[in-house]
Amino acid sequence: MFLGTVVYAIFNSAILALMALGFNLTFGISGVANFAYGAMYILSAYLSWMFLHFLNFPYWLSVCVSIVFTMVLGALMYRYVLLRVRGQPLSEVIATFGIGLAILELFQYLGFVGYEYSLPVMIDKSIIFGDIVVDMQRILITAVAIFLMAGLWAFTHHTRIGLAFRGIAQDERTALTFGIDSDRIGMISVSLGCGLAALAAAVIIPLGSISPGDGYDVLMKALAVCIVGGLGSTGGVIVASVFIGFAERLTDTYISSSWTMIVSLAAILIVLMVKPSGLFGRQKELEERI
Amino acid sequence: MRSRSFRFSLIMATLAACLFGAQLANAAEPVVIAVPTSLGFLEGKEAVKAVEMAVGEINAKGGVTVGGQKRLLEIASIDIRDAAPGVPVPEALLGIEKVILEKKPAAILVGPFRSEALIAGMDLISKYKVPTIGSIAMSPASEKKVKEEPEKYKYVFRDCLNAVYLVKYMAGTMAAINKEFGFTKVYVMHQDVAWARATADLVKSTYFDKAGWEVLEQEAYPTGASDFSSGLLKARSKGAQVIMPIFDMPQSGILVKQWKSMSVPALMAGFISPLAGRDAWKTFDAKIGGAMNCIFEMGSAIASDKIPASVEFYNGYKKTYGHEMEAGHGPAPSYEAVYILAQAIERAGSLDPDAITAELKKTDRMGAIGRIRFDEGNQAIYGFDPKETAVGAVFQWTEDGERRIVFPESLAEGKIELPKGLKPVK
Repeated sequence: MFLGTVVYAIFNSAILALMALGFNLTFGISGVANFAYGAMYILSAYLSWMFLHFLNFPYWLSVCVSIVFTMVLGALMYRYVLLRVRGQPLSEVIATFGIGLAILELFQYLGFVGYEYSLPVMIDKSIIFGDIVVDMQRILITAVAIFLMAGLWAFTHHTRIGLAFRGIAQDERTALTFGIDSDRIGMISVSLGCGLAALAAAVIIPLGSISPGDGYDVLMKALAVCIVGGLGSTGGVIVASVFIGFAERLTDTYISSSWTMIVSLAAILIVLMVKPSGLFGRQKELEERI
Repeated sequence: MRSRSFRFSLIMATLAACLFGAQLANAAEPVVIAVPTSLGFLEGKEAVKAVEMAVGEINAKGGVTVGGQKRLLEIASIDIRDAAPGVPVPEALLGIEKVILEKKPAAILVGPFRSEALIAGMDLISKYKVPTIGSIAMSPASEKKVKEEPEKYKYVFRDCLNAVYLVKYMAGTMAAINKEFGFTKVYVMHQDVAWARATADLVKSTYFDKAGWEVLEQEAYPTGASDFSSGLLKARSKGAQVIMPIFDMPQSGILVKQWKSMSVPALMAGFISPLAGRDAWKTFDAKIGGAMNCIFEMGSAIASDKIPASVEFYNGYKKTYGHEMEAGHGPAPSYEAVYILAQAIERAGSLDPDAITAELKKTDRMGAIGRIRFDEGNQAIYGFDPKETAVGAVFQWTEDGERRIVFPESLAEGKIELPKGLKPVK
């Protein structure tokens, strides 16, 4: 059973990492804490469902179109809302949270509640490792998470836009002197973050069903992972998702399922008390800098 | 002289017009029914739709007669979100108080989703004296309060199943499984909310412990939990023959999917909200053959030819809304609650809450859920014979996507069958 727990803890970590990557990217580059992140995740899932059921698109096309649509929406959100409050963190949070709330409540109001709102699994198979039966969808999630992390690293180190991202993240003013348009990069980072949320939804949602309330859950998990790992640090996201993922599954197995949901909240609390900037955070508090 | 008489006539005509207008206004004033519940959850959403359907039917016949006057019914629904994870009970109560103060309803139907909110809200209901017929929250603790202080809490009724009756259905099902297949090892997984905890605890103490079953483990999952792999791994490693789930949250669909994908060799028999409706076959990619699910009230998500009113309600819902019901708890008693209330109002002859409450206590109605009568705790009496009591049922998904009622015997359409890959012990 221990091996089974470890295997499912790895899957859980991959799910958390996938959920948090987009949020972390957006904050790391543009400094915008996108509180509409969970809503974008759910929005793209509903869009995929609608393309699949109303327009009869093939599944792969539904997913691709919904990812593109979500990215466009993210870019528009930055261009017409966030740009106006750029540099005012509290206003950015309130604006994005308001947009997220409006999206999720709209779906609830329109009656998108029920178990028929679900996406089919992409690979409908299970494989057996000794005593452990594992479904291919979870293996796919893990593979996508690893691929995305590697891809993001390559993107930020070997492409022009990626290097621009890093420049803005390091020092916006200096990046401006090099001719890097911070507003354009900010828009691309928010758009890319929303796209990553949409991709995460495409592979994770088939495990269950689509529910507006899950948007808040995704936001909370993404926040937990990013705060523990350090906002803006991809390495931190990886470590934090492994830490929280394993803690949740081990708590579930060896203590009690009732305590599982407290794990991520407790992790935030402990990290904020001990190292407020997170395990690998770059925005260090004064005490940490001295 | 002429102008004086003209003025007098004008004044009299104006007075007459005012009086007539006032009467017209009173006649047109609808009877408001408040429906505060969690509209974002399937059971709440479909319960409200069932109420709307019943109100539509009654209004189509002119409405309800109140003291000789026909008055239409009007619904005032509000989403109190009490079922959503993390929503504190006081927040939900604010919603109930808001609808009471703003809409001044004659009664509350459906009521809070969570028993925690219902029990806390009982003082509010007593304070404002609003007759209430709950159709979702199930903890027997509310009846206990009614019995302990009947004068204070007399306004609170429940026409849906409660946890005690659910326990009887679950225990009966487990007994049938034991008799048929010889299974005695069960793994209990339930949601960490009042009704589910009470159900799991009572099934264990009143049946499993007495019948010699081995309860391998009893796990509580908080609302919103989305990974059941640990529990399923433990069920598998401990040799569970039956898994008894008790969940109403949307995420419990993940449990079903994981049960299948992890190929846990145990019969799934309990209550998982997503498994109730016909569309579940498609939602779960036709992989739920063999799973057994409890329907809390006949007519909710399934009907029986042995109760024609349940078939009428089920088909009426489908015709009205263009799709079948998915919720196995809530819609049928919510529909019946409108008729129970309407009949009580007509018998009372007024909208006085005490008069309505006194008449509600005398309810004896044959409806979609069977025969509806209330006990001394204002709980509808449930049993196994629809001619005598309200009834629920347990059905099993067949391997070709049909739902077959297997318990109680009075309504059974077939026997319990083991899904592929499972063998009986005897």
